[in-house]
Parts: sequence; C-alpha cells; structure tokens
Amino acid sequence: MKKIFSLIFGVCVLVLASGLAQIQKPGDLKYPVLKYDPPDPKAFRTVLAGGLRAYVQEDHSLPAVNISALVNFGSLYVPEGMEGLDSLLSGALIRGGTKTREGTAVEERIDFLGGLLNFTVGERTSSLTLSVLSKDLDEGLALFFDVLMNPEFREEPFALAKARAIEQLRQANDQPGGILSREYEKILYGTHALTRRAMKKTYENITSADLKAVHSQYFVPKNIILTASGDFVKADLAAKINTFIRAWKGKDVKIPVFSKAFPTPEPGVYFIQKPINQGYISLGHLGLEDTDPDYPAVQVMNFILGGGSFTSRITTKVRSNEGLSYNQGSRFTTRWGFPGTFAGYVQTKSSTVGYAISLIEAEFDRIRKEQVSDAEMDTAVNYFIDSFSSQFEMPQGTMNAFANLEMQGKPMDYYKTYRDKIKAVTKAKVLDVAQKFIRPEKTVIMIVGDFEPCNKGGEKWAGPLEKLGKLHRINLIDPMTGAEIK
Amino acid sequence: MKRVLTLSLAVLALTAFVSAGAITLDVKEHTLANGMKILMITKPGVPRVVCHIYYKVGSINERPGITGTAHVHEHLMFKGTKMMGVTDFEKDTAIDRQIDEVVSQIYREKYWKSDGDPAKIAELQKKADELIAAEKAYIIKDDLWGLYMKNGGTGLNASTSQESTGYYVTLPSNKIELQMLLESDRMQSAYFREFYSENDVIMEERRLSENSPGYFFSEQVNAAFFAASPYHWDVIGWMDDLKKMTKADLIEFHNRYYVPNNAVAIYVGDLDLEKTIAMAEQYFGRIPKGPDIEPIRTYEPPQYGEKRMYGEGPAPTSVQIMFHTPWAGQPDVAPLTVLAGILGAGGGPGGPGGPRGGGGTGRLDKILVQEKQLAVNASAFNRAQWYVGAFQFSASPRLDKGVEPEDLEREIWAEIEKIKKDGVTDDEIQKIKNRSEANFIRSLASTAGLAGSVGRAELNRGWKSILSDLEDIKKVTNDDIKRVAAAYFVKDNSLTSIYTRKMGR
Repeated sequence: MKKIFSLIFGVCVLVLASGLAQIQKPGDLKYPVLKYDPPDPKAFRTVLAGGLRAYVQEDHSLPAVNISALVNFGSLYVPEGMEGLDSLLSGALIRGGTKTREGTAVEERIDFLGGLLNFTVGERTSSLTLSVLSKDLDEGLALFFDVLMNPEFREEPFALAKARAIEQLRQANDQPGGILSREYEKILYGTHALTRRAMKKTYENITSADLKAVHSQYFVPKNIILTASGDFVKADLAAKINTFIRAWKGKDVKIPVFSKAFPTPEPGVYFIQKPINQGYISLGHLGLEDTDPDYPAVQVMNFILGGGSFTSRITTKVRSNEGLSYNQGSRFTTRWGFPGTFAGYVQTKSSTVGYAISLIEAEFDRIRKEQVSDAEMDTAVNYFIDSFSSQFEMPQGTMNAFANLEMQGKPMDYYKTYRDKIKAVTKAKVLDVAQKFIRPEKTVIMIVGDFEPCNKGGEKWAGPLEKLGKLHRINLIDPMTGAEIK
Repeated sequence: MKRVLTLSLAVLALTAFVSAGAITLDVKEHTLANGMKILMITKPGVPRVVCHIYYKVGSINERPGITGTAHVHEHLMFKGTKMMGVTDFEKDTAIDRQIDEVVSQIYREKYWKSDGDPAKIAELQKKADELIAAEKAYIIKDDLWGLYMKNGGTGLNASTSQESTGYYVTLPSNKIELQMLLESDRMQSAYFREFYSENDVIMEERRLSENSPGYFFSEQVNAAFFAASPYHWDVIGWMDDLKKMTKADLIEFHNRYYVPNNAVAIYVGDLDLEKTIAMAEQYFGRIPKGPDIEPIRTYEPPQYGEKRMYGEGPAPTSVQIMFHTPWAGQPDVAPLTVLAGILGAGGGPGGPGGPRGGGGTGRLDKILVQEKQLAVNASAFNRAQWYVGAFQFSASPRLDKGVEPEDLEREIWAEIEKIKKDGVTDDEIQKIKNRSEANFIRSLASTAGLAGSVGRAELNRGWKSILSDLEDIKKVTNDDIKRVAAAYFVKDNSLTSIYTRKMGR
C-alpha cells in the first residue's frame, strides 16, 4: 500500500496566451456552453426479494457504502393520546436491541468499525441509514437488516429513552424560533394530527409493546424503499441483501387517511410573551401542495418576493435598506399530502417589530398589484435553471430523492421536466399566482417577544400593535404539566 | 485597453498526492508570484465547481475597541467595489465621504463626550439620513450576490471564525471565471458602501445570539477561560464596539489583511486544471503582494488557580469543566483528541426524544446516562485551535431524580482520576482510530466540505496537516493517554461552570 509522500512531482502546465483577454466587467464574460441531463430514475431502480423496491448506484470513487431504508411511517400516523411515540421509536429502535443482539452491542460494533447507523422519524417517513467502509459491508448489512427487521425494544433501554425524552420536554419553550414555528402551525392547521405534540402524560401512556406494534404494522417490504450507493457491484449487493430479506414478509399496510379541512383562523396579531430583546415574527396563512400545477410559478414568485436571499424584495427593503434584521424573507413550505404554509418572516429588535411587519405587508401588496420586472424574472429563472444540477452531486442524495418521488406517488419524470416548467413561467403567471396564493385578508401575524416594547414601537412606526389587526395573546403550554404558562 | 497575458512557457503546478493508508488526497497546488496559493481538487461528476477563497484573518486579529471588525468587514465585502454595486463611482464617492464626515461628528458628540448635546445629535442624524437617502440613487443593491445567483451560484455565503474568513460560491463548471473576476476585484478594490445600515444588521445578528438561551453566560465563561489571548471575545464582538465602529477601522483592516499573500483560493469539482491556473494568473495574479503579516502576540498564560462560575437563566441546567490544552500541531493534541472520542462518542443531547440511534458508546454516556442514570447527556470534546486549546466536559443532570450539577462534577472527576491511573482499553483506542479514518474517507465525498477543510488547513499548517494529524492519531498509545490526562486535567488548569435553569435572561 502507498504510504505518505508529498510533492511527488511538478507538472508543467502550458498556458496558452490565446483567448485570455483581460475582462473589465462581468458583462464582458463569455461562457462556454454547458449541457446537463439529470440522471434517469429508471436506470437505478431494481426490485429485490419479496418485492422490496430499491434505487441503487455504484460509485467507486471512495471505499465506502451508504444504505438507507425509507419507511412510509411518521409522527403523523401516531394515534391520538400517544404523541411522542415517534421520538421513542427513534430513541429505541437501535438501542432497544434485536432478537439476538443487545442494542449496546450493535452500537459498539458499528462504532468500532467507524460506521454510522442512525434512525430518524419525520412527519410521514422514517429512515434507517448506514454508512460503512466497503471492507465492512457484510457486517454492516447484517446489523442494518437485523435492526430494520427484528427490533426488540427491550425494557431497560426503552425506559431510559422515555425518561430522557420527558426530561427534554423542559426545553420545549426555550427557543423563541422553535416556539414561533410550532405555534404558527397550530394556528393555521388548528386541531389536527399535524399539530399534536408530545407531553409528559402522552409519553407515560406509551409502552414498548406499542413500539413493537407500530413496527410490525409499518416496517414491511411493501412499505419500504431501499436506497444504496457506493463501492460495490450492483448484482453482488442485491444478492447479499436478498439473503437477509428472503423470508421477510409482513401484512398489508393501511396508511391512515387524514382530513384536509383546516379552520380559517381569525386574521390579526397573535402575541406570545417572552422576555427577549427582539420580536420573532411570521405572517401569512396556509399555502399549497407541491403537486399543484401552479407550484413552479409560486417558486419563481416567492424567489422574487422573499425567497431569493439578497436578490429578493423583502431582504432589500427590510435588511439592506433599513438595517432592521439579519434574517428575513418569505417561504412556502411543502409537506407530503397537505398544503404547506406561507410566511413572511423576520426577527428584529422590539422597537422595530411593527415597522418591519409593515414593510413586509407592503411587499405582499406590491407583488399582487404589479407585474415583476424583466430583470427580476431573469435572475429567478436563471437561478433555478443554472443551479439545477447541484441537487445530484451526492449519489446517495440522488437515490433518496428518487425513492421519495416513488413513495409519494409523484411523477418519475419530475426532474426531467422541472426546468421546462420553470422556463414556462411568465410575468403574467407570477402576478396570477401572487394574487391567488398571497391573501392579505387572511393574514395571521404571529410575534414571539417582549410585549411592552414591541407594542410601543419606535420612530418610524409607533404602536400599538392593534394597528396591524385584532390582538390575541397566546399563553404557552408547559408540556410537563399540561397547564398554561401565565 | 486589453492586456494579453503572455505566459508563454509554463506555470508550475505542484501536485501533492498525499495518502493516509490506502486513501489519497490529490490536491494540485499553484502559487502565484504575489504569494497567493491556488489549490485544486478534481472531482468528476455533476458539472459544478466549489469556489472558495480563504483569508488568514479572523477575530483574533482584532484588539479591544475593535472587536467584531473581522466579521463586520466580511459583511461589507458584499457592499460593492469600484466596479460593482454602483452606477456612478465618482458621484457616489463624493456623497459617501460626506456621510462619513457627518457620522464622525455624531460619534464625537455621542460617544466622546459624557454630556453630548441631543439636539445637535438629532440635527446631524437628520443630515446623515438625507445624505444616505441621496446616495441610494447611485447604489446597485447587492450586485455581487445577484450576479452569482443569476449564474446558478449555490452555497453562496461567507463566514468569519476566530482565525479565518471564507467567501463561498458553487458555480456551473463553465463559470469559474466569474468568481475569479469578482473575488479578485473585491480583494483589491472593496468599497464599503451602506456601512451604517449594515452595522445595524450585525447588531441584530448579535441580538439573535443573545436570545439563544444561555448565550450571555457562555460568552462570559469563554471570556473568563481565555483571559489574555484574543480568543477572549466572541467573533461577533462586544455590543459597545459594534456601536462605535468606524469605517476607518474597516479600511485599515482591509488594507492590512486582504492581500494575496494572505489568501488561499480553492476549487473542487469538475475542473480543467490548466484553464483554472491560467485564469488565476490572469485575475488574482494582477494584484500586488502586500506586506508580511505578523502573527498574534498574546498567547494564553498559565492559569495557576482553579476558576469557578455560576449562572442562571432560561437554558437547561448543566455543568461544564474546561481545561487548557495545547494548540493545533503540538504532540499532545492527538492523545487528547483520542481521549475525547473515547469519553464522549455520541451521548449528546440528540434533540427531543433522546439519542438518535448510533453513537452513545462513549464512556461518559455509558456510565452517567445509561448505567447510573444520573445525566440526560454527557460528552467530552477537545478543541485544538491555532494558538490555544481547550478540553471540555459537559453534562446535564436528571432533574427528575434530584441530581445536582455538582453530583455530575464529582462523577466526571472520578472518571478522570481513573483514567490517570489505569488509562483506557486497547479496544477503545482502536475504535477512535478506526472512526477517525472512516470519517476522513467520508469527508472526501462532499466537495464543499473538502474545500473548507483543505482551504482552512492550508492557511495555518498547510493542507497536508489533515493527513499528518490522522497519522498522529494512529500512533496514540495508552501511555500517551495516561500522560496527557495527568498533565492537563488538574484543578489549577480548569474552569468549572454551573448553570441553573431559571426564567429571565
């Protein structure tokens, strides 16, 4: 094997004088043509034993392998009264051991190999991920599939996971940003599975048998898509995996169905008291699903409004012109199967809270009333087109993206057609979607901050906050006791 | 007038091909005549190139009174040059000078006098506001940022640390020349427009940190631990210094540190080496070399006495024990790093719901979290910086069991004494060696991560230090671990901080 040596040799690089004229300004630069076609999901899709679907890419650039199991299960599917089950599952799937291995033995071995084995539970999908050096692939696969298929959720590690989860509830109302995003969703989605949160009493309801039940219900081949990339031969990897999963069956999976009816919250100001020196603010309402045909146009519109960082209007007005904030902008979030949220957001010192909100509201109005400029369109569309290839840099990320498309039932030519959909967006269409998806008459303004100085305002915008709409004061819930914090 | 570059013969590109075990890190080096280093790593795949430029300057190059300057300067580097961000440079400059003059009068009235005249300040402020409004006619807002985005720039950002400052963009591989033009332009002709509104933005950035629970206490702990060296203050700087910062401070800072001999540019991705070198010669090569830069003078003196701090506020109850340790490149860093790995692997807070699988195999987690069930989390970390080092133990008690931070402090000391006496197991040492190598291999997968670690390492001890540090870890023995534990984990070398959750700031 090679050992360390440095500066082996100097390479003489011939630099040709031709073609290197001194450029004086960016407009004079001429770029060679660059063509890029995204990878085709079909080239990577395969079906393993028992019908387990997989996206697999060989990549021999490094002696390492990444594997992930994407499971159609998330916090949303947790029954009412058992909120927090998702957190306990994530804390105990590995550490709770398998039928034949203690959890600590699994962790020790993976750690000794320099590998990573992690399990996370999201809103509708969970992922068990493994990263090992290719020399350790066989052992890594054995541990990965044992944890995925045979978790035992032993009592002692389960009890510890539960005690720690409850202890950590003490932090639920520490971070102003965390409070804002949680409470903003609570107002917009109302009482719904999307907004239920774990409390001490819900954790206490959960047993290790509940975790086992959830596992046997959702962790079955039909409900999982596997992804893999790295230093292996595809056929060899498939053969190895098949030895682990050949006998793996599982019953039919029934995914719960959820209402898409959400309440219409009363517009106005919703204030949450916290003794800090800034107001943390979100203003908006529900948005749209990313499967909506208008979504590409909304992306372009939002880039111009507040999503395109320093090129966007809200950043220019609130940060660059006025120096009111470090973070500001607008966003349309997305979630599988439901409309996401729309929000203008900013964090600014208490005395300029009202002023910053008024500037953002003015931008909401402007983009609904006037067509955007050619230059703004040009920047937004070029950004989406020219940065498109960046999402395919990591093979494992690409495989995961394909698995997510399939799991969510989205068209598999999503990436192939994406740039054409962006190119088709016009200024008239941007105006149209701004009017359709930004609705000032429905806007909820939520503020986490210190009420007195925020309400007083400052030189450029004097309070009270009621000038922005009807004022509602919200008391937070202490998840340890379930009581309102006054 | 066009100047045609006639580098007729050859530019020497040194290829440094360094390996750790079977893994190679293939970095092409090229040094310009002005001392600027160009590093390149080819990584075929998607047609994009990570383009980073790093300067050997950070908050340790500041002094009391101008803390926060390195970071403010980084922000102002986005506020235009003679070429960028302005429609009429001469007219803009004339107004800009007047603004500086008026604001200088405000500062004198407001900050130099104890009895400044509020009416005079208000009158001057009105004048300043009028001039700032008039200057807007000549400013093209965030011109550089917009241009990068319009050309598909991603990962667009900049950051300032205690030791270095980086400017980042990833571009389609046919557009590297844009980065060369814009970065060489702002290295030599930055022009700090909109300084006063941007300084307000930075004060908002500091307030965001202040509103992160526990920030004020940890800022004080850091200041107490690093008593003399410029690691004493946070990168963001003290609020007083931000309020009173002047544009003259920034210009002086720029002229001293933003010179090619204090910079490294690194390109990672789908690259043509010859063309990249030729472009670097053309754009960065045109900038004259600056004076040599003196390293910092004040290192951290020996402490000679235990320090203790107590604080309370809206963050989790916890205990931290910190020890001064050697800075990067010193022989004891490798055993301390291995020991931190053995004690602290996993076991961090892990977010709601406890540990997220994996990890949790560190000694502290095993003993304090799993076996004795005294802590919610327990970890250890060794941080060897350019001129200082710190080894830190952290743990949060199980309040539901009535555990106090002082109980955890005693437990940590018991573990320390055990290590001084018996060391650790061979398996534990091997685990950290394996993990270091695997982590190194994984780090090679990310183009942006690679650019960051190679570029920053080059500024201090050369990029090959990444490999030699890994080799040093492979040589660590149990005797080394016992020796460093005995040498550094002593009360006179420590600061213990105990934080208790209470409402309020």
